[in-house]
Amino acid sequence: MKIKKDILILSFVGVLVGFFVIKAFDAENPQLGFSNMMSPHTWDRYFQERSIASIENYLNRTKDLEESKELLLEEIRELEKVISEHEETAAARLDRGEQIRQELHDSRMIAGMLDIEGPGVEIILDDRKRDTILENDTDMIGYYIVHDSDLLEVVNELRAAGAEAVAINGVRITGLSRISCGGPTINVGKEQRFAPPFIIHAVGDPEALTSYFQRNDSIYQTLIFWGLRFEIKQKEMIQIPRYIGDIEFRYAEPIREDE
Amino acid sequence: MKKSTKGQYALTLVSLILGLMLATQFKNVQKVGGNVSVQRTQELTEYIKKLESDNENLLNQINEYKDIISSYENTSQDETLLNELIRTKSQAGLMSMEGPGVVITVDNLLISGWDGNQQVFQSVHYDDLLRLINELNAAGAEAIAINNERVISTTEIRNAGDYIVINTNRHSTPFEIKAIGNPDNLEAALKLLGGVVDNLSQILDISIKTEERITIPQYEGTINYRFAQPLQENS
Repeated sequence: MKIKKDILILSFVGVLVGFFVIKAFDAENPQLGFSNMMSPHTWDRYFQERSIASIENYLNRTKDLEESKELLLEEIRELEKVISEHEETAAARLDRGEQIRQELHDSRMIAGMLDIEGPGVEIILDDRKRDTILENDTDMIGYYIVHDSDLLEVVNELRAAGAEAVAINGVRITGLSRISCGGPTINVGKEQRFAPPFIIHAVGDPEALTSYFQRNDSIYQTLIFWGLRFEIKQKEMIQIPRYIGDIEFRYAEPIREDE
Repeated sequence: MKKSTKGQYALTLVSLILGLMLATQFKNVQKVGGNVSVQRTQELTEYIKKLESDNENLLNQINEYKDIISSYENTSQDETLLNELIRTKSQAGLMSMEGPGVVITVDNLLISGWDGNQQVFQSVHYDDLLRLINELNAAGAEAIAINNERVISTTEIRNAGDYIVINTNRHSTPFEIKAIGNPDNLEAALKLLGGVVDNLSQILDISIKTEERITIPQYEGTINYRFAQPLQENS
Protein backbone atom coordinates (compact mmCIF):
# COMPACT_ATOMS: atom_id res chain seq x y z
CA MET A 1 0.00 0.00 0.00
CA LYS A 2 2.81 2.36 0.92
CA ILE A 3 4.57 1.94 -2.39
CA LYS A 4 1.34 2.56 -4.28
CA LYS A 5 0.85 5.80 -2.42
CA ASP A 6 4.39 6.86 -3.20
CA ILE A 7 3.90 6.13 -6.87
CA LEU A 8 0.64 8.09 -6.89
CA ILE A 9 2.33 11.10 -5.35
CA LEU A 10 5.23 10.77 -7.75
CA SER A 11 2.91 10.63 -10.73
CA PHE A 12 0.96 13.60 -9.43
CA VAL A 13 4.13 15.64 -9.04
CA GLY A 14 5.21 14.47 -12.48
CA VAL A 15 1.96 15.66 -14.05
CA LEU A 16 2.24 19.02 -12.32
CA VAL A 17 5.85 19.53 -13.39
CA GLY A 18 5.06 18.46 -16.94
CA PHE A 19 2.06 20.75 -17.11
CA PHE A 20 3.88 23.78 -15.83
CA VAL A 21 6.89 23.20 -17.99
CA ILE A 22 4.72 23.04 -21.09
CA LYS A 23 2.80 26.07 -19.86
CA ALA A 24 6.04 27.94 -19.46
CA PHE A 25 7.19 27.03 -22.95
CA ASP A 26 3.94 28.02 -24.58
CA ALA A 27 3.12 31.00 -22.40
CA GLU A 28 3.42 33.35 -25.34
CA ASN A 29 0.89 31.62 -27.53
CA PRO A 30 -1.65 29.52 -25.64
CA GLN A 31 -3.14 26.85 -27.82
CA LEU A 32 -6.09 24.64 -27.06
CA GLY A 33 -8.35 22.53 -29.22
CA PHE A 34 -9.26 23.71 -32.67
CA SER A 35 -7.51 27.09 -32.45
CA ASN A 36 -4.28 25.11 -32.52
CA MET A 37 -4.82 24.58 -36.25
CA MET A 38 -4.35 28.29 -36.91
CA SER A 39 -1.75 28.93 -34.22
CA PRO A 40 1.55 30.69 -35.02
CA HIS A 41 3.33 27.37 -34.52
CA THR A 42 1.43 25.78 -37.37
CA TRP A 43 2.17 28.75 -39.61
CA ASP A 44 5.80 28.69 -38.60
CA ARG A 45 6.09 25.08 -39.59
CA TYR A 46 4.36 25.80 -42.90
CA PHE A 47 6.78 28.61 -43.75
CA GLN A 48 9.75 26.65 -42.51
CA GLU A 49 9.02 23.77 -44.86
CA ARG A 50 8.60 26.25 -47.65
CA SER A 51 11.87 27.99 -46.84
CA ILE A 52 13.77 24.70 -46.74
CA ALA A 53 12.44 23.90 -50.19
CA SER A 54 13.34 27.38 -51.41
CA ILE A 55 16.83 27.13 -49.92
CA GLU A 56 17.36 24.08 -52.11
CA ASN A 57 16.18 26.12 -55.10
CA TYR A 58 18.48 28.96 -54.17
CA LEU A 59 21.43 26.63 -53.71
CA ASN A 60 20.87 25.18 -57.19
CA ARG A 61 20.59 28.67 -58.65
CA THR A 62 23.80 29.68 -56.84
CA LYS A 63 25.62 26.68 -58.24
CA ASP A 64 24.46 27.46 -61.80
CA LEU A 65 25.50 31.10 -61.49
CA GLU A 66 28.89 30.20 -60.04
CA GLU A 67 29.51 27.81 -62.91
CA SER A 68 28.57 30.37 -65.55
CA LYS A 69 30.73 32.98 -63.77
CA GLU A 70 33.70 30.61 -63.99
CA LEU A 71 33.03 30.10 -67.71
CA LEU A 72 32.78 33.85 -68.30
CA LEU A 73 36.03 34.44 -66.43
CA GLU A 74 37.69 31.78 -68.54
CA GLU A 75 36.48 33.45 -71.73
CA ILE A 76 37.79 36.78 -70.43
CA ARG A 77 41.23 35.25 -69.81
CA GLU A 78 41.25 33.87 -73.36
CA LEU A 79 40.31 37.25 -74.83
CA GLU A 80 42.94 38.96 -72.70
CA LYS A 81 45.55 36.62 -74.13
CA VAL A 82 44.49 37.62 -77.66
CA ILE A 83 44.56 41.33 -76.72
CA SER A 84 47.98 40.91 -75.12
CA GLU A 85 49.32 39.40 -78.36
CA HIS A 86 47.92 42.30 -80.38
CA GLU A 87 49.49 44.73 -77.92
CA GLU A 88 52.81 43.01 -78.33
CA THR A 89 52.83 43.18 -82.13
CA ALA A 90 51.56 46.77 -82.12
CA ALA A 91 54.15 47.82 -79.54
CA ALA A 92 56.98 46.18 -81.48
CA ARG A 93 56.40 48.62 -84.34
CA LEU A 94 56.31 51.74 -82.16
CA ASP A 95 59.32 53.68 -80.92
CA ARG A 96 58.25 53.73 -77.30
CA GLY A 97 56.29 50.52 -77.58
CA GLU A 98 57.82 48.84 -74.55
CA GLN A 99 57.15 51.94 -72.45
CA ILE A 100 53.50 51.92 -73.54
CA ARG A 101 53.13 48.27 -72.57
CA GLN A 102 54.65 48.98 -69.16
CA GLU A 103 52.32 51.96 -68.68
CA LEU A 104 49.34 49.80 -69.66
CA HIS A 105 50.35 47.19 -67.12
CA ASP A 106 50.84 49.75 -64.31
CA SER A 107 47.50 51.42 -65.09
CA ARG A 108 45.73 48.07 -64.95
CA MET A 109 47.30 47.37 -61.56
CA ILE A 110 46.17 50.73 -60.15
CA ALA A 111 42.70 50.49 -61.71
CA GLY A 112 42.28 47.06 -60.07
CA MET A 113 41.78 45.30 -63.40
CA LEU A 114 44.08 42.36 -62.57
CA ASP A 115 43.72 39.46 -60.16
CA ILE A 116 46.61 39.80 -57.75
CA GLU A 117 48.29 37.89 -54.95
CA GLY A 118 50.82 38.66 -52.26
CA PRO A 119 51.39 38.77 -48.50
CA GLY A 120 48.98 40.81 -46.40
CA VAL A 121 46.29 40.65 -43.75
CA GLU A 122 42.81 39.26 -43.27
CA ILE A 123 40.39 41.20 -41.09
CA ILE A 124 37.12 39.77 -39.80
CA LEU A 125 34.58 42.33 -38.64
CA ASP A 126 31.30 41.31 -37.04
CA ASP A 127 28.51 42.66 -34.87
CA ARG A 128 28.74 42.12 -31.13
CA LYS A 129 27.34 38.73 -30.14
CA ARG A 130 23.61 38.90 -29.38
CA ASP A 131 23.82 37.14 -26.01
CA THR A 132 26.34 39.65 -24.65
CA ILE A 133 23.95 42.56 -25.15
CA LEU A 134 21.85 43.26 -22.06
CA GLU A 135 18.09 43.35 -22.52
CA ASN A 136 17.73 46.81 -21.05
CA ASP A 137 20.14 48.63 -23.31
CA THR A 138 18.50 48.08 -26.65
CA ASP A 139 18.88 51.83 -27.27
CA MET A 140 22.61 51.20 -27.33
CA ILE A 141 22.29 48.66 -30.14
CA GLY A 142 23.65 51.18 -32.66
CA TYR A 143 27.05 50.95 -31.01
CA TYR A 144 27.12 47.17 -31.23
CA ILE A 145 26.73 46.68 -34.99
CA VAL A 146 29.06 47.25 -37.94
CA HIS A 147 28.24 50.46 -39.82
CA ASP A 148 29.22 51.55 -43.32
CA SER A 149 31.37 54.25 -41.73
CA ASP A 150 33.33 51.57 -39.82
CA LEU A 151 34.18 49.75 -43.06
CA LEU A 152 35.12 53.08 -44.62
CA GLU A 153 37.50 53.80 -41.73
CA VAL A 154 39.06 50.31 -41.89
CA VAL A 155 39.70 50.62 -45.64
CA ASN A 156 41.09 54.14 -45.16
CA GLU A 157 43.48 52.96 -42.44
CA LEU A 158 44.62 50.04 -44.58
CA ARG A 159 45.40 52.49 -47.39
CA ALA A 160 47.22 54.80 -44.97
CA ALA A 161 49.27 51.79 -43.78
CA GLY A 162 50.35 51.14 -47.36
CA ALA A 163 47.92 48.49 -48.58
CA GLU A 164 48.39 47.91 -52.31
CA ALA A 165 44.98 46.30 -52.90
CA VAL A 166 41.88 45.87 -50.73
CA ALA A 167 38.76 43.70 -51.09
CA ILE A 168 35.66 43.41 -48.91
CA ASN A 169 33.93 40.00 -49.11
CA GLY A 170 35.70 39.37 -52.42
CA VAL A 171 34.77 42.73 -53.98
CA ARG A 172 37.82 44.73 -55.08
CA ILE A 173 37.80 48.27 -53.68
CA THR A 174 38.85 51.01 -56.12
CA GLY A 175 39.00 54.78 -55.75
CA LEU A 176 35.41 55.03 -56.93
CA SER A 177 33.95 52.22 -54.80
CA ARG A 178 31.12 53.16 -52.54
CA ILE A 179 30.56 51.62 -49.15
CA SER A 180 27.08 52.54 -47.99
CA CYS A 181 24.37 51.37 -45.69
CA GLY A 182 21.31 49.54 -47.05
CA GLY A 183 19.19 48.63 -44.03
CA PRO A 184 20.72 45.67 -42.21
CA THR A 185 23.07 45.07 -45.15
CA ILE A 186 25.92 47.19 -46.44
CA ASN A 187 26.46 47.98 -50.12
CA VAL A 188 29.99 47.48 -51.28
CA GLY A 189 30.63 48.68 -54.80
CA LYS A 190 27.73 48.62 -57.19
CA GLU A 191 24.65 46.53 -56.32
CA GLN A 192 26.74 44.24 -54.10
CA ARG A 193 25.14 43.87 -50.70
CA PHE A 194 26.48 42.04 -47.70
CA ALA A 195 25.43 41.35 -44.14
CA PRO A 196 28.01 40.84 -41.39
CA PRO A 197 30.50 39.27 -40.89
CA PHE A 198 32.72 41.23 -43.25
CA ILE A 199 35.97 39.70 -44.42
CA ILE A 200 38.47 42.30 -45.57
CA HIS A 201 41.61 41.27 -47.45
CA ALA A 202 44.55 43.60 -48.04
CA VAL A 203 47.85 42.94 -49.78
CA GLY A 204 50.83 44.83 -48.39
CA ASP A 205 53.49 44.61 -45.68
CA PRO A 206 51.72 42.39 -43.07
CA GLU A 207 53.70 43.91 -40.19
CA ALA A 208 52.94 47.52 -41.18
CA LEU A 209 49.27 46.74 -41.81
CA THR A 210 48.69 45.08 -38.42
CA SER A 211 50.67 47.61 -36.39
CA TYR A 212 48.72 50.52 -37.88
CA PHE A 213 45.61 49.31 -36.06
CA GLN A 214 47.43 49.39 -32.71
CA ARG A 215 47.52 53.20 -32.64
CA ASN A 216 45.34 54.83 -29.99
CA ASP A 217 43.10 56.63 -32.46
CA SER A 218 42.55 53.58 -34.68
CA ILE A 219 39.03 52.42 -35.50
CA TYR A 220 40.17 49.10 -34.02
CA GLN A 221 40.21 50.54 -30.49
CA THR A 222 36.71 52.01 -30.88
CA LEU A 223 35.15 48.83 -32.22
CA ILE A 224 36.87 46.64 -29.60
CA PHE A 225 35.66 49.04 -26.89
CA TRP A 226 32.03 48.43 -27.94
CA GLY A 227 32.60 44.69 -27.97
CA LEU A 228 32.46 44.12 -31.72
CA ARG A 229 34.45 41.31 -33.28
CA PHE A 230 37.60 42.62 -34.96
CA GLU A 231 40.24 40.03 -35.77
CA ILE A 232 43.32 40.80 -37.81
CA LYS A 233 45.57 38.01 -39.04
CA GLN A 234 48.80 38.22 -40.99
CA LYS A 235 48.85 36.03 -44.09
CA GLU A 236 51.78 34.90 -46.18
CA MET A 237 49.70 34.75 -49.34
CA ILE A 238 46.37 36.36 -50.15
CA GLN A 239 44.58 36.43 -53.48
CA ILE A 240 42.46 39.45 -54.37
CA PRO A 241 40.16 39.29 -57.41
CA ARG A 242 39.96 41.97 -60.06
CA TYR A 243 37.32 44.68 -60.02
CA ILE A 244 34.19 43.44 -61.75
CA GLY A 245 31.82 46.18 -62.74
CA ASP A 246 30.91 49.16 -64.77
CA ILE A 247 33.81 51.51 -65.59
CA GLU A 248 32.24 53.46 -68.42
CA PHE A 249 32.80 57.22 -68.48
CA ARG A 250 29.59 59.02 -69.42
CA TYR A 251 30.50 62.52 -68.27
CA ALA A 252 34.27 62.60 -67.84
CA GLU A 253 36.52 62.99 -70.88
CA PRO A 254 40.27 62.36 -70.77
CA ILE A 255 42.35 65.42 -71.63
CA ARG A 256 44.89 64.29 -74.22
CA GLU A 257 48.24 65.96 -73.86
CA ASP A 258 48.84 66.14 -77.61
CA GLU A 259 45.76 68.29 -78.26
CA MET B 1 2.19 -8.67 -9.07
CA LYS B 2 -0.54 -6.11 -8.67
CA LYS B 3 1.82 -3.65 -7.07
CA SER B 4 4.29 -3.77 -9.89
CA THR B 5 1.51 -3.32 -12.48
CA LYS B 6 0.45 -0.16 -10.68
CA GLY B 7 4.07 0.91 -10.66
CA GLN B 8 4.24 0.30 -14.37
CA TYR B 9 1.17 2.47 -14.93
CA ALA B 10 2.72 5.30 -12.97
CA LEU B 11 5.97 4.87 -14.81
CA THR B 12 4.11 4.95 -18.13
CA LEU B 13 2.38 8.13 -17.08
CA VAL B 14 5.63 9.81 -16.05
CA SER B 15 7.25 8.74 -19.30
CA LEU B 16 4.29 10.08 -21.20
CA ILE B 17 4.67 13.45 -19.53
CA LEU B 18 8.37 13.36 -20.16
CA GLY B 19 7.65 12.67 -23.79
CA LEU B 20 5.23 15.55 -23.93
CA MET B 21 7.84 17.86 -22.44
CA LEU B 22 10.41 16.69 -24.92
CA ALA B 23 7.99 17.24 -27.78
CA THR B 24 7.31 20.78 -26.67
CA GLN B 25 10.97 21.50 -26.33
CA PHE B 26 11.64 20.00 -29.74
CA LYS B 27 8.98 22.25 -31.20
CA ASN B 28 10.74 25.23 -29.70
CA VAL B 29 14.06 24.18 -31.17
CA GLN B 30 12.38 23.72 -34.54
CA LYS B 31 11.02 27.23 -34.30
CA VAL B 32 14.52 28.62 -33.84
CA GLY B 33 15.63 26.53 -36.80
CA GLY B 34 12.88 28.16 -38.85
CA ASN B 35 14.23 31.63 -38.09
CA VAL B 36 17.74 30.57 -39.00
CA SER B 37 16.57 29.25 -42.35
CA VAL B 38 14.77 32.52 -43.11
CA GLN B 39 17.99 34.43 -42.44
CA ARG B 40 19.92 31.95 -44.55
CA THR B 41 17.44 32.46 -47.39
CA GLN B 42 18.05 36.20 -47.24
CA GLU B 43 21.82 35.72 -47.35
CA LEU B 44 21.44 33.41 -50.32
CA THR B 45 19.24 35.84 -52.24
CA GLU B 46 21.80 38.61 -51.66
CA TYR B 47 24.56 36.31 -52.88
CA ILE B 48 22.53 35.37 -55.96
CA LYS B 49 21.99 39.06 -56.72
CA LYS B 50 25.76 39.61 -56.43
CA LEU B 51 26.48 36.72 -58.81
CA GLU B 52 23.86 37.94 -61.28
CA SER B 53 25.34 41.44 -61.37
CA ASP B 54 28.87 39.96 -61.59
CA ASN B 55 27.90 37.84 -64.59
CA GLU B 56 26.17 40.75 -66.29
CA ASN B 57 29.27 42.91 -65.83
CA LEU B 58 31.54 40.12 -67.06
CA LEU B 59 29.39 39.76 -70.16
CA ASN B 60 29.73 43.50 -70.81
CA GLN B 61 33.47 43.18 -70.34
CA ILE B 62 33.60 40.33 -72.87
CA ASN B 63 31.77 42.45 -75.45
CA GLU B 64 34.14 45.32 -74.77
CA TYR B 65 37.14 43.03 -75.28
CA LYS B 66 35.65 41.74 -78.53
CA ASP B 67 35.33 45.33 -79.75
CA ILE B 68 38.96 45.99 -78.88
CA ILE B 69 40.07 42.82 -80.68
CA SER B 70 38.08 43.68 -83.81
CA SER B 71 39.57 47.18 -83.66
CA TYR B 72 43.06 45.62 -83.57
CA GLU B 73 42.19 43.39 -86.50
CA ASN B 74 40.29 45.83 -88.70
CA THR B 75 41.68 49.30 -87.99
CA SER B 76 45.04 50.78 -87.07
CA GLN B 77 46.85 48.71 -84.48
CA ASP B 78 48.88 51.66 -83.23
CA GLU B 79 45.82 53.80 -82.72
CA THR B 80 43.97 51.01 -80.90
CA LEU B 81 46.93 50.52 -78.58
CA LEU B 82 47.12 54.23 -77.76
CA ASN B 83 43.36 54.43 -77.22
CA GLU B 84 43.61 51.44 -74.90
CA LEU B 85 46.36 53.18 -72.96
CA ILE B 86 44.30 56.35 -72.53
CA ARG B 87 41.21 54.43 -71.48
CA THR B 88 43.10 52.34 -68.94
CA LYS B 89 44.95 55.37 -67.58
CA SER B 90 41.60 57.17 -67.21
CA GLN B 91 40.27 54.30 -65.14
CA ALA B 92 43.38 54.27 -62.97
CA GLY B 93 43.25 58.04 -62.40
CA LEU B 94 46.45 58.67 -64.35
CA MET B 95 44.77 60.97 -66.91
CA SER B 96 43.46 64.48 -66.35
CA MET B 97 39.73 64.54 -66.98
CA GLU B 98 37.14 67.17 -67.75
CA GLY B 99 33.35 67.25 -67.73
CA PRO B 100 30.31 68.53 -65.84
CA GLY B 101 29.96 68.00 -62.11
CA VAL B 102 29.95 69.61 -58.68
CA VAL B 103 32.43 71.63 -56.63
CA ILE B 104 32.17 71.47 -52.85
CA THR B 105 34.08 73.80 -50.57
CA VAL B 106 34.54 72.73 -46.96
CA ASP B 107 35.92 75.15 -44.39
CA ASN B 108 36.06 75.61 -40.64
CA LEU B 109 32.87 77.07 -39.19
CA LEU B 110 33.53 80.40 -37.47
CA ILE B 111 31.41 81.87 -34.69
CA SER B 112 31.63 85.22 -32.97
CA GLY B 113 33.27 85.01 -29.55
CA TRP B 114 32.33 87.13 -26.49
CA ASP B 115 34.90 89.76 -27.54
CA GLY B 116 33.49 90.06 -31.04
CA ASN B 117 36.36 88.13 -32.64
CA GLN B 118 35.71 85.22 -34.94
CA GLN B 119 36.65 81.86 -33.50
CA VAL B 120 36.88 78.41 -35.03
CA PHE B 121 33.87 76.48 -33.80
CA GLN B 122 34.97 73.18 -35.32
CA SER B 123 37.80 72.33 -37.70
CA VAL B 124 37.55 69.99 -40.68
CA HIS B 125 38.26 66.39 -39.73
CA TYR B 126 39.56 63.70 -42.08
CA ASP B 127 36.40 61.60 -41.73
CA ASP B 128 34.23 64.52 -42.90
CA LEU B 129 36.09 64.39 -46.22
CA LEU B 130 35.98 60.57 -46.23
CA ARG B 131 32.19 60.62 -45.93
CA LEU B 132 31.76 63.26 -48.63
CA ILE B 133 33.91 61.23 -51.05
CA ASN B 134 31.94 58.07 -50.28
CA GLU B 135 28.67 59.94 -50.88
CA LEU B 136 29.95 61.20 -54.25
CA ASN B 137 30.97 57.66 -55.20
CA ALA B 138 27.56 56.34 -54.20
CA ALA B 139 26.00 58.97 -56.49
CA GLY B 140 28.08 57.75 -59.44
CA ALA B 141 31.00 60.19 -59.59
CA GLU B 142 33.49 59.32 -62.37
CA ALA B 143 36.50 61.31 -61.16
CA ILE B 144 37.16 63.05 -57.84
CA ALA B 145 39.90 65.30 -56.49
CA ILE B 146 40.39 67.00 -53.11
CA ASN B 147 42.55 70.12 -53.38
CA ASN B 148 43.66 68.73 -56.74
CA GLU B 149 44.71 65.40 -55.22
CA ARG B 150 43.12 62.82 -57.50
CA VAL B 151 41.28 60.13 -55.53
CA ILE B 152 42.49 56.69 -56.71
CA SER B 153 42.41 53.17 -55.29
CA THR B 154 45.22 53.82 -52.80
CA THR B 155 44.18 57.32 -51.69
CA GLU B 156 44.16 57.74 -47.91
CA ILE B 157 42.78 60.71 -45.97
CA ARG B 158 44.38 61.04 -42.54
CA ASN B 159 44.75 63.63 -39.81
CA ALA B 160 48.34 64.64 -39.05
CA GLY B 161 48.43 67.43 -36.50
CA ASP B 162 46.80 70.50 -37.99
CA TYR B 163 47.00 69.05 -41.47
CA ILE B 164 45.11 66.44 -43.41
CA VAL B 165 47.27 64.07 -45.42
CA ILE B 166 45.93 63.02 -48.83
CA ASN B 167 48.04 60.90 -51.22
CA THR B 168 50.90 61.39 -48.70
CA ASN B 169 50.78 65.19 -49.23
CA ARG B 170 49.78 67.64 -46.49
CA HIS B 171 46.76 69.90 -46.98
CA SER B 172 44.86 72.36 -44.83
CA THR B 173 41.57 74.28 -44.96
CA PRO B 174 39.76 75.32 -47.04
CA PHE B 175 39.18 72.07 -48.91
CA GLU B 176 37.83 72.05 -52.42
CA ILE B 177 36.33 68.77 -53.61
CA LYS B 178 35.70 68.47 -57.33
CA ALA B 179 33.70 65.60 -58.83
CA ILE B 180 32.78 64.87 -62.45
CA GLY B 181 29.47 63.10 -63.04
CA ASN B 182 25.80 63.86 -63.57
CA PRO B 183 25.61 67.27 -61.80
CA ASP B 184 21.96 66.88 -60.79
CA ASN B 185 22.48 63.40 -59.33
CA LEU B 186 25.58 64.46 -57.43
CA GLU B 187 23.96 67.60 -56.04
CA ALA B 188 20.74 65.80 -55.10
CA ALA B 189 22.65 63.04 -53.29
CA LEU B 190 24.66 65.59 -51.33
CA LYS B 191 21.69 67.79 -50.43
CA LEU B 192 19.54 64.89 -49.24
CA LEU B 193 17.71 65.82 -46.03
CA GLY B 194 19.44 64.02 -43.18
CA GLY B 195 22.30 63.19 -45.54
CA VAL B 196 26.00 63.76 -45.08
CA VAL B 197 26.04 67.46 -46.00
CA ASP B 198 22.92 68.14 -43.94
CA ASN B 199 24.72 66.75 -40.89
CA LEU B 200 28.10 68.30 -41.60
CA SER B 201 26.74 71.78 -42.36
CA GLN B 202 25.81 72.10 -38.69
CA ILE B 203 29.47 71.96 -37.67
CA LEU B 204 31.28 73.07 -40.86
CA ASP B 205 31.03 75.76 -43.50
CA ILE B 206 30.01 73.85 -46.64
CA SER B 207 28.88 75.11 -50.03
CA ILE B 208 27.98 73.14 -53.15
CA LYS B 209 27.73 74.41 -56.69
CA THR B 210 27.20 72.58 -59.99
CA GLU B 211 29.43 73.44 -62.93
CA GLU B 212 29.31 72.61 -66.60
CA ARG B 213 33.03 72.16 -67.01
CA ILE B 214 35.39 70.94 -64.32
CA THR B 215 38.99 69.90 -64.80
CA ILE B 216 40.39 67.21 -62.53
CA PRO B 217 44.13 66.60 -62.58
CA GLN B 218 45.76 63.19 -62.85
CA TYR B 219 47.36 61.39 -59.90
CA GLU B 220 50.86 62.83 -59.51
CA GLY B 221 52.49 60.25 -57.28
CA THR B 222 54.13 56.98 -58.17
CA ILE B 223 53.04 53.62 -56.88
CA ASN B 224 55.60 50.87 -56.53
CA TYR B 225 53.99 47.53 -56.02
CA ARG B 226 56.32 45.74 -53.64
CA PHE B 227 53.94 43.04 -52.42
CA ALA B 228 51.13 42.63 -54.95
CA GLN B 229 51.84 40.45 -57.97
CA PRO B 230 49.47 39.91 -60.91
CA LEU B 231 48.18 36.33 -60.82
CA GLN B 232 48.25 35.46 -64.52
CA GLU B 233 51.99 36.04 -64.84
CA ASN B 234 52.64 33.11 -62.57
CA SER B 235 50.19 30.74 -64.16
